[in-house]
Amino acid sequence: MTFFNTEITAFCDIYLVLILGYAVLIMSSYLFLAYLSTKELRQYLKKNSFVDYDVLLTSEFAPKLSLIAPAYNEGFTIEENVKSLLSLNYNNYEVIVVNDGSKDNSMEILINTYDLTAAELTIHPKIETKQIRGIYVSKNAAFKKLIVVDKENGGKADALNVGLNIAQNPYVVCIDVDCILDKDALLRLAKPFLESQGKRIIATGGVVRIANQCIIKNGRLVEVNIPDSLLPRIQVLEYLRAFLLGRMAWGRLDGLLLISGAFGAFDKEIALLAGGYSTKTVGEDMELVVRMRRYMLENKLPYTVRYIPDPLCWTEAPEDFKIFKKQRSRWMRGTIETLSLHKKMFLNPKYKRLGMLSVPYWTLFEFLAPAIEAAGLIITVLFFIFGLLNFHFFLLLLLFVYFFAVFFSVIALYSEERTFHKYPKQVDFLKLLLAAFIEPFYFHPLAVYASLAGYVEKIRGTKGWGEMTRKGFTKNN
Amino acid sequence: MLELWQLYKSGTWVEDFLSLSIDLFVGASFILYIMIIWSRNRNIKQEKLRAAYTIIIEKLMFSMIFEDTALSVIKEDKNYITLSNKSFFREVAAESIINLHKNYEGIYAEKLEDFFKESGLINDSIKKLRSFNWEIKCKGITELAEMNVTGVFDKILAVSKARNKTLKITALNACVKLAGVKGIVHLTEHPFPIDEWTQINIIHAFKKHDIGDTKGVELLLESQNTTVVTLGLKLIKELKLSQKAHFVAALAAKAPNAQIQYEAENILQALNS
Repeated sequence: MTFFNTEITAFCDIYLVLILGYAVLIMSSYLFLAYLSTKELRQYLKKNSFVDYDVLLTSEFAPKLSLIAPAYNEGFTIEENVKSLLSLNYNNYEVIVVNDGSKDNSMEILINTYDLTAAELTIHPKIETKQIRGIYVSKNAAFKKLIVVDKENGGKADALNVGLNIAQNPYVVCIDVDCILDKDALLRLAKPFLESQGKRIIATGGVVRIANQCIIKNGRLVEVNIPDSLLPRIQVLEYLRAFLLGRMAWGRLDGLLLISGAFGAFDKEIALLAGGYSTKTVGEDMELVVRMRRYMLENKLPYTVRYIPDPLCWTEAPEDFKIFKKQRSRWMRGTIETLSLHKKMFLNPKYKRLGMLSVPYWTLFEFLAPAIEAAGLIITVLFFIFGLLNFHFFLLLLLFVYFFAVFFSVIALYSEERTFHKYPKQVDFLKLLLAAFIEPFYFHPLAVYASLAGYVEKIRGTKGWGEMTRKGFTKNN
Repeated sequence: MLELWQLYKSGTWVEDFLSLSIDLFVGASFILYIMIIWSRNRNIKQEKLRAAYTIIIEKLMFSMIFEDTALSVIKEDKNYITLSNKSFFREVAAESIINLHKNYEGIYAEKLEDFFKESGLINDSIKKLRSFNWEIKCKGITELAEMNVTGVFDKILAVSKARNKTLKITALNACVKLAGVKGIVHLTEHPFPIDEWTQINIIHAFKKHDIGDTKGVELLLESQNTTVVTLGLKLIKELKLSQKAHFVAALAAKAPNAQIQYEAENILQALNS
């Protein structure tokens, strides 16, 4: 019995030391990243206040871009969404809409609306994809920038690869067709490609924000609102934290592993040399960035990835738990797949900051965090059952974690207030503040549960995205 | 290490550490909340004040431009006398006058320039130009260049050699506006590569300010710095300077590398077509 007690005590000691170390590490890394982000953001905004984007708009030397928008069963919104893509403030660009074997009338709508006719384009595919049924261009000169590709269903990554094969321009911008882009989105995204000095800019990523309940007019966002439902509202806060306090810092550290699939630009040549999007993962956006970076490092080519903090792309967040769970479990599967495909990079000095910092960070704090949290919960229950739980300390620890979470959200709100100030209404700000207090009890457990579901799906070998039903934006035409 | 472990094991620190951290997080959150509220209120106040000042300034400027009201009369305006000592008013005044200046040419623009000098706003801009803070320097340069203050050209030219890229671009744009080609010929001696963003900003400045006299652009083609040569070629192409074709041809014949040769031949073709 004594031996058993000694073992339990030793286990408790080790467990507590490890958990304490993990908690201190994760909290301090969050604060450090927030500090770096704030610094970088301030610098960016100062510089940006002297930038005249008309320079790019009027120059024939602006980088030539190919927008790739994969579409699957987007019949309800495709007409308006393509129209909005065709009316962005930029000159040197083409729009490639890839119909990924939609079962609805998306193709029919596109053909009729844009006066499409079959085109004889010579393609030299660099990446193997599902079969292309046809390529269409418009007879109407007003839509000369548009190319529509009809292909057999192969998933988002396959559709993006078709776009990569067809793109005529040296830079590709991969977007979700249902996202709302700011009119100047391409100008801002393209600028870093002109600023390379000694290092090749292989990708630029932009911020994605939540558009639920925002007002959209003619494919443009005209009024920013905070969602009434709690789930998307807390996601607004979550996105603010992730993009303003997280990715900005990783951009500064040159350790970005993820450029959102909803909105990112890539150097086509490098994307092709790296092998294009992987169809074997549901996290194809993250995987491509990691593979491109790995390609550059392995070939000893100087490069960098840039990050634009301006809110340029607005997307719809899941409003009910079922869809939310699907999205988050898919994100977790994508993370596991990417980290496992590139496990060679983990703590490998050959991959410099990426191998020594970014990949371990993602492994410890993105991939393992839900498992550690779940284990913590189970052990707490066991401590309680065996009478090992000190309620006084437990309460203090709970308050410690809770107030840290609230504090971190308030930093994000402060950062947003002093930078982009997209939520000027007092009531919206208060709604977000309230969300910060509710989040640890309501949203966080759901997010952890969804991530754990991702583990289970991965173990079971679940593939594909699953149906993602969207409610649609509030429109004001 | 053993002492640290003993301290950890004793557990005496836990309560203090947790309580202190909680207090810290709550306190810091509250301070940030107050700062957000303060920032919002300040912005609202400033916006209101800005709107009120803009009305006063525009009324004065329109009377000066269109009703030929003398500068001395404007200076004696009751509102102007009361407010002109306030730095925020002067800031808004400079912004408004510069915005108006962008919309007018000829005599109207000259009247605004005169007011800018006579009112002393020019001194504020010169002070900004002397600042050690790069963004204030940029602001000063932009204001002085927009108001065609040619007297500060040499100072801005010196700034254009700065290592800070934003400052460099702002200064080069100003130099082009104030002196055309003379504002960039010094780049022939530039030791570092000039990135494409800087290049297209310079080209844009030429187009935007409609610089007619392009004498000396060809000097850029003689630079040892290949990015400066590229800039020269791009300028010749964008401004359609067919009279410079023979300089481009000479460059194509003895280009420092294959890339420049290719660019020169392309531009030559474009100029001749």
